Amino acid sequence: MKKGIALVLIWCWLVSPALSQEQSTRQEPSVWEKSVVTLDVTRKQYDYLQPWTRRLKSSQKTGVVTGPREILTTANEMFDRTLIRVQKGGRGKWWVGEMTWIDYHANLALVTVPEEDFWSGLQPVEVPELTQAEGTMQVVRWRQGRLENRRAEFQQFHVDESGLSFTPQLQMEVSSEIQGAGWGEPVVSQSVLLGLVAKQEGTTCHIIPSAFIRPILEAHREGTYKGLGYFHFVWQPAENPDSHAYLKREGEPKGVIVISVPPAPDIEQVVQPRDILLKIDEFDIDIQGDYQDPDYGHLSLENLATRRKWAGDEVQLQVWRGGKLEEITYRLPKAEYDVTLVPDAVFDQEPEYLIVGGLLFQPLNDAFLQSWGPDWKRRSPFRLYHFNNENPTPERPALVILSQVLPDVYNLGYQELKLLVLDQVNGRKISRLAELREALQNPIDGYHLVEFFQSDSLRKLVLSADDQELATQRVLARYGITSDHYFASPEIESDRPHSEPVAGAGVAVSR
Amino acid sequence: VLKTILILLAAWLLLAPRGQGAEPEKSVVQITVFGQQPVWDAPWRFDSVRRSGGSGFVIQTKRGKRIMTNAHVVSWDKQILVRRYQDPRPYVANVEFVGNDCDLAVLEVEDESFFEGLEPLDFGNLPKVRSAVVTYGYPAGGEQISYTRGVVSRVEMQTYVHIGNRSLLGVQTDAAINPGNSGGPVIQDDLVVGVAFQGAPGLENTGFFIPRPVIDHFLEDIEDGTYNGFPQAGIRLVPLQNPAYRRYLKLPEHGLGARVDSLLPIPQTRELIREDDVVLQIGEYPLGSDGTILYEGNRLFGGLAFQTVQHGESVPLKLWRDGQELNISLPVYYYEGDRAVGNQYGTLPRYFVYGGLVFLPLSLDYMKTMGRNWADAANADLVYELYYRRHESPETLRPEPIVLASILSHPINANFSHRGRILVDKINNIRIERLEDVIRAFESSAESHHLIEFSPNHAFDCLNREQAEQANSTILQTYGIAQDRRL
Repeated sequence: MKKGIALVLIWCWLVSPALSQEQSTRQEPSVWEKSVVTLDVTRKQYDYLQPWTRRLKSSQKTGVVTGPREILTTANEMFDRTLIRVQKGGRGKWWVGEMTWIDYHANLALVTVPEEDFWSGLQPVEVPELTQAEGTMQVVRWRQGRLENRRAEFQQFHVDESGLSFTPQLQMEVSSEIQGAGWGEPVVSQSVLLGLVAKQEGTTCHIIPSAFIRPILEAHREGTYKGLGYFHFVWQPAENPDSHAYLKREGEPKGVIVISVPPAPDIEQVVQPRDILLKIDEFDIDIQGDYQDPDYGHLSLENLATRRKWAGDEVQLQVWRGGKLEEITYRLPKAEYDVTLVPDAVFDQEPEYLIVGGLLFQPLNDAFLQSWGPDWKRRSPFRLYHFNNENPTPERPALVILSQVLPDVYNLGYQELKLLVLDQVNGRKISRLAELREALQNPIDGYHLVEFFQSDSLRKLVLSADDQELATQRVLARYGITSDHYFASPEIESDRPHSEPVAGAGVAVSR
Repeated sequence: VLKTILILLAAWLLLAPRGQGAEPEKSVVQITVFGQQPVWDAPWRFDSVRRSGGSGFVIQTKRGKRIMTNAHVVSWDKQILVRRYQDPRPYVANVEFVGNDCDLAVLEVEDESFFEGLEPLDFGNLPKVRSAVVTYGYPAGGEQISYTRGVVSRVEMQTYVHIGNRSLLGVQTDAAINPGNSGGPVIQDDLVVGVAFQGAPGLENTGFFIPRPVIDHFLEDIEDGTYNGFPQAGIRLVPLQNPAYRRYLKLPEHGLGARVDSLLPIPQTRELIREDDVVLQIGEYPLGSDGTILYEGNRLFGGLAFQTVQHGESVPLKLWRDGQELNISLPVYYYEGDRAVGNQYGTLPRYFVYGGLVFLPLSLDYMKTMGRNWADAANADLVYELYYRRHESPETLRPEPIVLASILSHPINANFSHRGRILVDKINNIRIERLEDVIRAFESSAESHHLIEFSPNHAFDCLNREQAEQANSTILQTYGIAQDRRL
């Protein structure tokens, strides 16, 4: 019997290298063992349906040393952090790390470890300017004390929104059998870094390529990085020759047609609807909206807003307007989450709320809608999600909703109300919680008159102003809530402009 | 002796069965329908002919004996055959009246001899909760008549799924109501107390029948030869139970009154009713602060009280406005404004084809062509336009929003950027409010190119006018479309 077991073990020993070669290309100590580190990030996780509660969530990520005392990783899951721990060599001591810079739109972050000893034995790698998608690729990370090194196969370069931003960016897609990637794992070719895995869907890994990362890191180091820019207009393909004829442009169709320029008070509106956009800088635009990138082939024109350009930089556009060619200069606006009526994201900020006699008011943002789970774009309430398609206006820069009611005798009859968008309170238009708080200081004849957007649901309710404070305190006590509100910025003024002017980008963090 | 005879006669009169007596099944008929529905995204076509079955029963109307059944049994019929109890002969029947909102229909039989020997069934009252009822009909799974016994579980306002966007009085029973039972009588003490009409998917032993008040309303409505439908007041009533709100309105704490939160765009209603009015009584029914009335021993949604009168009649209302009572008389009408968000029957869908571009009105029926999960598959702006705009900005609502449903491929539209399922905003700078505007916009233009603009985001496409006009007849011929339009 023992002999049998021994034979099996010998067989396993003989066969296992072949098997492991199938699954892993690791043959000998890799240069990446000195450059790849594990990050353990603990962050606060908020329940937007009970915004006063919070839990802790830990995620293991991968980082790569890219410079002296500098670890590069993705920004995903680095928000609302309470602790970053870093481990080298895939085992042993955890070192306390610190965030030195983060840019959510670019989905990039830099981490350091203050203790000098940590850096001993680590070796920075270069982030090449050109992402060469040739030869064998691997996805690398530490797993159970060993450097996992999974084969990857190049699929394509393309331009798409990153997971954390609406700004279209250059991405690389590779296929790999790796499981559970998407946490900043480096994708490498021999000793060259090709990018970081930002997301995995099935066997497809979406990579932030080095070609996107390198210029940002360089600009950041030089202090010239101003954040990502984007094209603030909507275009459609222009394959229809009849549309060209209608716009009085003869010859072979080329370019795309601008159909909409959403209003935004802080953004120069030099592009007009019905412009045919023919050229951006030196690149001709084809009828699908692509240009021929010298390094990465056909890419969407959107990439020309982030290809070594930042917010505030200028691009030259050639447009066909009113029957003639025009050259215009377009200044790239800075990507901001609050450029939309429903902000895409809220990072490094506790959820804002205000409780009034059990009525819970919150800003409407995608973080709230994500309470409906991974499929939130389909599962969240249609009407609330659909506000994503609407533009902010000076009169209505944002939305506040009555998200739910915490039952109390004060709000008898209103207990089942939820997900109603506030229009006015006591005759004042409400776009922000600060405005709501201010309006509640001015009841009408002892009552608060609360009006919601016209909809197929309730339009109006009335609350007693005299009993409000007492009722709020009773609700807080009964439901174990420590405060009736959280405002991200106590000094928020109700007439604050809804977007900031172009300024420095990313968040430089110091302690 | 005379006294004894009189007593026996009285006893016989009391005990004698009414109508068909103890054999109501003889007046229950089997209905077979061969129907064909239009294809809502290619409205010149029809689905294949389908056979379906249902039940019905003989009633007496002022026009003579007729068969009552459900509207959904006979919708989109091409041929209706009825069979008597244990009689193999099929008789051809036709729809005389149909009420799609109340899911009822009256059929006439071409051969009057069909009714020979058949006694019409009499109607009973709204049955009490917990009382026993028997459904008669010809459900799937056999050819013989079937009886199922159950009790009345509750009486409530129910969504009538045939039309989908109307709620009328309905009775829930645990008697099995299966496909084929539809249109059959629900009987208690030999009297018809309802018409079986729908079940509840996912719930066992749950069926619903249409009760006497709804049937009576339908029969009274058709007496003048036209069916109008159940009227609506166009008032959105919401409970008024918050003490502060009641004090704000200076309303006594008597547990009565629901608040008018919003109004449908019905001129008479908007003239007489204001938002924040409190409705204290509708007709003879005091309205509770929870928005319900006490109806035949059941607390039911107060909107029911408006359904007790006919289209065009008035309902006395007691209101509370500006701190005092006010009595008014509100005329109520069948509301057509939400037809597109309900299932439509009877009238073939409208369309217009030009240059291979298929234009048709936005409707629930059209949306359902996108599959079971149409709400996910559809362009969200179509969903918004169909369901939400009417509530949120009725001033911008188009009477009949038009979609570019599809493109019938032809060289002249080969490079058209939009391939369908998109809302049409303007054509040649004419705002498209209804299908006739599409036709007018195309046919009145003398420009070299038609400009078709879509919503949202002002996307657009162009079509060479001369080429389109030359290609129209070829396209219609290629795709087997007899007419370029149905209006």
